Amino acid sequence: MIFSEEANDAVVERIEEWGAMKGVDVEVVMINENETVQRISAAIEAGTMPDAFDLGVDFALLLSQTGQLQALDDLYQQIGDAHGGWLDAMDAILASTDFGGAIYGIPYAASGINVLYRRVDVLEPVGEADAPATWQEIAVNSAAGQDPPSHYGMGFALSNVGDANLTTTMLQSWGGRIADDAGTTCTLDSPETRAFLEWITGAFADGLFPPGVTTWDGGGDNTAYQSGNALFIANPGSVYLNIRENDPELLEATRFSGLPAGPAMHIVPVTAKLRGIPASTSPEKTELAKDLFAFLAEDEFMEQYMSAAIYGPALDSQLEFAVFNESPVHIGLADAALNGTPGTFPDVDNAALAEYQTNFLTPRMIQRIVVDNLSIDDSIAETQAACQAIYDKHNQ
Amino acid sequence: MAQPNLTRGPRAARGGWLRLNQRQSEGLFGYILLAPIVVCLATLVVYPFFFAIYISFTNRMIGGQAEYIGLGNYLYLMRQPDFVASVRNTVVLVFFVQLIKLVLGLGIATLLNQPIRFRQFWRGLILLPWAMPAFVAFITWKLLLVPQGGAFNFILIELGLVNTHVEFLSSKALAMPSVITASVWRGFPFWVISFLAAMQTVPKELYEAAVLDGANAWARFRNVTLPSIRHIVLVVILVSTIWTTNSFEAVFLMTGGGPSNATLTFPVLAYYSLQSLQIGEAAAVSVALLPVFAVLALIIAVLLQREN
Amino acid sequence: MLHRTTTSQKILYYTLLVLLALAILFPIYYMIMISLKLPKDIYRTPSLLPVNTTLKNYLDLFEKRDFFINIRNSLIVAAAATFVSVLFSSMAAYSLVRLRYLYRNWIGRLILFTYLTPSALLFIPLSVIIARLDLSNTLHGLVFIYLTFAAPLSTWLLMGYFKGIPVELEEQARVDGGTRFQAFYRILLPLSAPGMIAVSVFTFTAAWNEFLFALIFITSPKLQTVPVAISYLITGDVFRWGLIMAGAVSSAVPVMILYYLAQRFVVQGLAAGAVKG
Repeated sequence: MIFSEEANDAVVERIEEWGAMKGVDVEVVMINENETVQRISAAIEAGTMPDAFDLGVDFALLLSQTGQLQALDDLYQQIGDAHGGWLDAMDAILASTDFGGAIYGIPYAASGINVLYRRVDVLEPVGEADAPATWQEIAVNSAAGQDPPSHYGMGFALSNVGDANLTTTMLQSWGGRIADDAGTTCTLDSPETRAFLEWITGAFADGLFPPGVTTWDGGGDNTAYQSGNALFIANPGSVYLNIRENDPELLEATRFSGLPAGPAMHIVPVTAKLRGIPASTSPEKTELAKDLFAFLAEDEFMEQYMSAAIYGPALDSQLEFAVFNESPVHIGLADAALNGTPGTFPDVDNAALAEYQTNFLTPRMIQRIVVDNLSIDDSIAETQAACQAIYDKHNQ
Repeated sequence: MAQPNLTRGPRAARGGWLRLNQRQSEGLFGYILLAPIVVCLATLVVYPFFFAIYISFTNRMIGGQAEYIGLGNYLYLMRQPDFVASVRNTVVLVFFVQLIKLVLGLGIATLLNQPIRFRQFWRGLILLPWAMPAFVAFITWKLLLVPQGGAFNFILIELGLVNTHVEFLSSKALAMPSVITASVWRGFPFWVISFLAAMQTVPKELYEAAVLDGANAWARFRNVTLPSIRHIVLVVILVSTIWTTNSFEAVFLMTGGGPSNATLTFPVLAYYSLQSLQIGEAAAVSVALLPVFAVLALIIAVLLQREN
Repeated sequence: MLHRTTTSQKILYYTLLVLLALAILFPIYYMIMISLKLPKDIYRTPSLLPVNTTLKNYLDLFEKRDFFINIRNSLIVAAAATFVSVLFSSMAAYSLVRLRYLYRNWIGRLILFTYLTPSALLFIPLSVIIARLDLSNTLHGLVFIYLTFAAPLSTWLLMGYFKGIPVELEEQARVDGGTRFQAFYRILLPLSAPGMIAVSVFTFTAAWNEFLFALIFITSPKLQTVPVAISYLITGDVFRWGLIMAGAVSSAVPVMILYYLAQRFVVQGLAAGAVKG
């Protein structure tokens, strides 16, 4: 669920402390983030849902549509008031029209924020020490700095994993859009999409991506960066935690910056980690769960939590935490939480888009070209059709 | 056996218990012995099986209401390029894995059936890949094949045989062969051991007679060994085909179905469809696999018939 | 000896055997080697020979993560599933082979056909059933599933085995005054011991290795079986190869030992059962 064990342990301890205080027996179950959907799906069908659980925004959207979550507007207001208000991004994310005007989850952190890592020890000698401001610059710097097969430039996954949906962000930076403003009609087939695909497949053809990117698993960028095989990666911070623990030299050679801009826009997606209460929880336990959520949001605990975790702040009061002003990665995370673009902006965040993303349609569109040798036009046409089929299904 | 009063069968019947004749009591006893397994299978296989078929005709989402939409899910699937690819990939994967295992299985079993020293040792060694959890075996193969930190690329580059990484798992040409290789590695011991077992039951006299007739090694294999083990070969092919067709770990762990959809198989596709909570659709994917299994069932039925 | 093996034949045999051994052992060797490396060395110093050999991964696994509990869980589940499955299967196989009643052949075939059901199909409906039976997050829920999944093949193999044992032996025992149960217990069971062992080994391995259902139905860390515990070593997007391989080695060893000890029976049981079946 969270990439840092230390942060996980802190939450478990805090919840147990709360349980002891309230005289409530609590069982905390950690599940692997990659398996949340399978596990919760089975639990819903079986009627064995927990009394409260953590989830991402996309999953909350899907669950709220079938009435699986309780509305928590009061609590959202209450916790916000107690901590100087929610960051704008949190308000914007929860305002998605698909939530139908209610708040179904209490954010505990800004997440999904990617920070760009770069290897200055390699890039400086070739005169490319500065943080790249655009995606195109990354390609240029990569070409200058890389030395295959020892190291390659662009360590971005193009496979069927969540990490690879970074390419949707790139696509949007080029001005491409998944769907129209109503969130009902797919608009992938555009000159912007074409321009983006020309750029990225060109970079692939030039050998700027490390080998294996088309089948990387969730840890592909991590492995590539730690083995010195990639000069640039975009990662929420787990790689930072890993190299801090295992490889100080590599940490020394790494600099962090925000995601760059594209030719049309500067997109730095921010989403939220939520805590939700299933509809199946009894009124009595719902009150307890709400109390727990408020208890977990207290600054004293969150400061300890945030310094172990790799998330951005969700509440104004959290911006004061030392970690968000000292640790290079966390400064980047806080900056993105404050100034980033909420959710799937500029696209409308709805269940159809969530399914588009869980089907990895953008990275697959790229794979169709670089792996299957489809023409850019054919790949766009095919993906546009698949995308429209998903949107149609959700608009029935 | 939990019913001692019934296990006395015919004698009890003669004694007038329930006034059953011998035949009826034998039948009753037969059904009682079958009961536990039938109850288990009915609860955990047969009922869920029909339930899955039912939901594949609905647009049910997790936790949502089911609404009958006829063939809607199937029509949606047929239009997906991934679905077509997964049919092709599943067939290719199963065919080649089984073919290679058959050839290797027969070859290695013949080798081990020769007068060699330490036969016990070799037999134990052969079993190692099969004794390993599939999960472990395939994650190890992934570690061998990945470009970053993988053993094979390391060897090839160190020896100077290649000057750039070989994309075993991420190029369209090599991904499927890689998955096939790993699946064969993990699966062949079962074939070798089964064939070897069967070969050892072939009477020595048959070989001696063949030698007297002047048959060479190949002729002995063709005319003596093969006919004698024909039955077990068929059994192993069938059982193993079921395992391989259902296998999820190899593809899921090594390539996730990629690159693009080059290694996407049915079970992996079904797993992915669940990600978007459309259980009706996910069920349709697995139900669409049934015709393949129906063919297997038919083959089994024919074999059983022939035996009787 | 049937015929003299020439020297050149011998050379050929042993060359092939050595090649085969290499193909089998190299992945296993690499797995063990990685489990003895430090995380940094795994990435930064790829090698075929151990570098800075350490037991750190194993210590982490067993001390910090209490991997013994997972091994114990797997042992309990696999042993229980095996015992019950073999019991039920031998009852069914005996019934189907030795007793005559209506629809016998049909029932036998249906049992075998259930083995063909793709497990991916059963996943969602099963989670409902398991929860209704109040078996989710319990080890006996898993036992129930595994014994059921293994039973059709076991029944089928045992049927073949029982068929191969002359019915006259049992009849003789019963003429001598034994009951049907005694005939089964004294004659059939001992004679089919190798078949029973073979079937047990199959069931045990299948239960020991099963991943998907264990992942779905077990939520408490204290109840996780070995494959699930290993998959949890992949946290989020970090593959801790050293730990994973240490877990892999530790989980493969018990089954490998079992196989090595039981191999003779596996071979005999399979041969007799399937050949005569």
